[in-house]
Amino acid sequence: MNRLLGLALLAGRRLAGGLLLLVGASFLIYFTIRSAPGDAIDAITPMGTPPEVKEKLAADFGLDQPPLAGYVTWLGRSATGDFGESLVFAPGEQVMTIARPAFKLTLLVSGGALVLCLLLATGLAVALGEPSPRQQLLTGVLYFVTAAPAFVAAIFFSQGMNALVRRFVEDAGHDTPPWYPIPIYSESVMPYFFAGLVLVAGDGLFMDMLNTVRAEILAVRNAQFIAAIRAKGASTLPHTFLNLVVPFVSAFAARLPVVLGGVVIVEYVFTLDGAGYLLLEASKQRDFPVVVGLSVLFTLAIIVMNLLADVVRAAVDPREVARNG
Amino acid sequence: MFHRTLGRIAIALGLFIGSAPTDAGAQRTFHYPEDTRPASLLPFFAEDMSAVRMVELIFDSLVFQNKRGDVDKGLATSWKVDDDQGGIRFVLREGVKWHDGEPFTAEDVVFTIRAAQDPKTIFNAKSKTNFIRDVTAEGQYGVYIAFERPVPEAEKRFISLKIIPKHGFAGTAISRKDKFAREPIGTGPFRLKKGGFSLRSIALEQNPDYWNQAKTGEVQMQHTPDKSAQINLLQYSGVKAGVQAVIFLPPKNIALFENSDSVVLEPYHTVSWWYMAYNHASKALAEQPVRQAIGLAIDREELLEAHLGRGDILTGPFTESSPFYNFQVEKSTVDVERANQLLEDAGWKKKGDVRMKGKLKLDLEFVMDKELASNQALFLGIQAQLKRIGVTTRPTYVDHARYRDQVFTRRKFDLTLNIWSFEEVEDVYPLFHSKGPMNFIGYNNADVDTLLDTAKATKDYKKYKEMMKQLHGLLAQDLPYYFLWSLDIYSGISKKVRNVYIQPFYYFTSFPEWELSP
Repeated sequence: MNRLLGLALLAGRRLAGGLLLLVGASFLIYFTIRSAPGDAIDAITPMGTPPEVKEKLAADFGLDQPPLAGYVTWLGRSATGDFGESLVFAPGEQVMTIARPAFKLTLLVSGGALVLCLLLATGLAVALGEPSPRQQLLTGVLYFVTAAPAFVAAIFFSQGMNALVRRFVEDAGHDTPPWYPIPIYSESVMPYFFAGLVLVAGDGLFMDMLNTVRAEILAVRNAQFIAAIRAKGASTLPHTFLNLVVPFVSAFAARLPVVLGGVVIVEYVFTLDGAGYLLLEASKQRDFPVVVGLSVLFTLAIIVMNLLADVVRAAVDPREVARNG
Repeated sequence: MFHRTLGRIAIALGLFIGSAPTDAGAQRTFHYPEDTRPASLLPFFAEDMSAVRMVELIFDSLVFQNKRGDVDKGLATSWKVDDDQGGIRFVLREGVKWHDGEPFTAEDVVFTIRAAQDPKTIFNAKSKTNFIRDVTAEGQYGVYIAFERPVPEAEKRFISLKIIPKHGFAGTAISRKDKFAREPIGTGPFRLKKGGFSLRSIALEQNPDYWNQAKTGEVQMQHTPDKSAQINLLQYSGVKAGVQAVIFLPPKNIALFENSDSVVLEPYHTVSWWYMAYNHASKALAEQPVRQAIGLAIDREELLEAHLGRGDILTGPFTESSPFYNFQVEKSTVDVERANQLLEDAGWKKKGDVRMKGKLKLDLEFVMDKELASNQALFLGIQAQLKRIGVTTRPTYVDHARYRDQVFTRRKFDLTLNIWSFEEVEDVYPLFHSKGPMNFIGYNNADVDTLLDTAKATKDYKKYKEMMKQLHGLLAQDLPYYFLWSLDIYSGISKKVRNVYIQPFYYFTSFPEWELSP
């Protein structure tokens, strides 16, 4: 009972902190965008538009309030789930109507890429076992291959895939897949899968994950309690697994922001209908309700992930609850 | 053997992920990428070129400009301008239906003009209907439009006016936020597919009731901001795969398709030209000799050839194909010696690398829009050339929104590079009249103002033309801008597309004739 209460308290405290962080982040984002030179009204009005016409438009778009008052109004509305309307990207459309499906796709690609990365890294770490000089060549090559920025990897990947399909499918007289050539717009899920692969292979994510996972596996494998369990003739697997959950969840949560950053550019290269693409376009057009709405979603995803990680850690390891009071 | 095995694996992969569509309809989809994404498909608010092209496929005007450049029948089958050029009477096409099945009538034309003139409908090209005093329906298929003043070649003014349905709106005050912008209803050759307006693509299907049935089943536009990705898609062009057209091929990529088996280079003439603008609020640049000297030091041929490819060097604000072009104006050539002499004579003395006059320095801020990809290379060329006459330049690269703010609104710049594009009527009044809404350089020349005012008031097109030629000569001397060049523009079109004719501004006017062969 005490442990459950501790868990609930920890979750509550983290949630409150997360909410404060969310408000702070939205405040910063709102002000940064509103104070950037060139606003949405400039983006949609021609040169020489009379000031009174601009004022009318600003009122129509709710941009007639000073930034602070505007933010307070926005905060009040967003608390009820109304993030306002898009100004330039899709004028009049509710921000969440366009942002939510795009964000879901982005989260799916990023989350999928991280899970895939974790699985591959774990598999390889287990296969490699104890470090040996022979493995250095392999890890060296892997470092080299995965060091490229994700957008460079995306370009190489799409070029290579196009050449392969042309050579072995199209030229051979077979029907080509709907996603060919990349980045043709299609409703296929494959471009999202490819984007996930590129996220795993780019920005050094895989090697970073491999190093973390491998160190944790080796530490647990060589721990005294594992030797003791083995001496007793019991299975070490459940203990190894439970002891790896905490570092694995931490590794996952810590890398989500990195992947969400990388996905913005990768979506551009693969012509995906995701939140990264939407964020870049809306920023260019100074469509601040869309930018603020999306940024809040990105921040929320990271806060929720960290909260989950804290709860999982605390649930698996009682010391976490004690440590955090 | 190895190839066959790989092929099988690839097919299996293709099946696993959903094999290629093989039905005839899908094969007849015309697919093309755009640099920008149309934010609105409501014709008034279709302000970027990607939206203009899309709107051309969905909506009709009363008249359009055909391949020969003549005004041709659109939603109007005949028209007659009053003898005193004070109005025009249109007879409308009968039996036309909107994409939702409602009949098209004269009331829709009246509504469109009233909506465009409603003070609460705010859009860029609003001034285009200022010449209209009144519009009246004459039965179901007749419209009379009265003008504020006599208008020469009045029918041409209706090419750009896309007709919108009265039943699609609650009133004539139309907001940008209207959902019609995402769910347009037109009378044009294509209609929006169900769910066709997505985040970065727009899908259209043939309008089966259209009076000039299109030969292509579907059109798919995808927003692909990266030019190299567009080129990549064109390299794989065919009917089933790739895209069938890249609207604008950057000059550096033209060679890639010059001897292509699958792509043809299709030239088209846009009425657009490049310029380097001088801010006349700058004390140094307000002096004509300084502007002239800068022009004499810049080698336009060299810059054009090195960074942009083919085009024509300009002498004034009109391209050679324009009826207003003045062939008497001579093209200036590079003359560094004369440029230096002009500056010396105007009292600008060299001190070190830079010329000075009193405390004034010929050290200029060159503001550039990052989105114009060639800007950086052009700037470096200009910077090196101006150094020869003791003019130094400092670059400022900004994103598009900030550029508009800094250059067009706050006017914080000395020099800038940009392009003007025109529709069927090249109206330079807004650019060079001291009260012109697009005169962001603060240009003020009494002779130019008088000429522009007189030209605006004239009823006689021949006189108007002469006055524009005179203006060409005047501006070539006074140099409010340094007029650079107009480019030869090429589209890359798949060889599988036949009967291609690209309309200079609206691009897709003759698209119903375009045909995709298997």
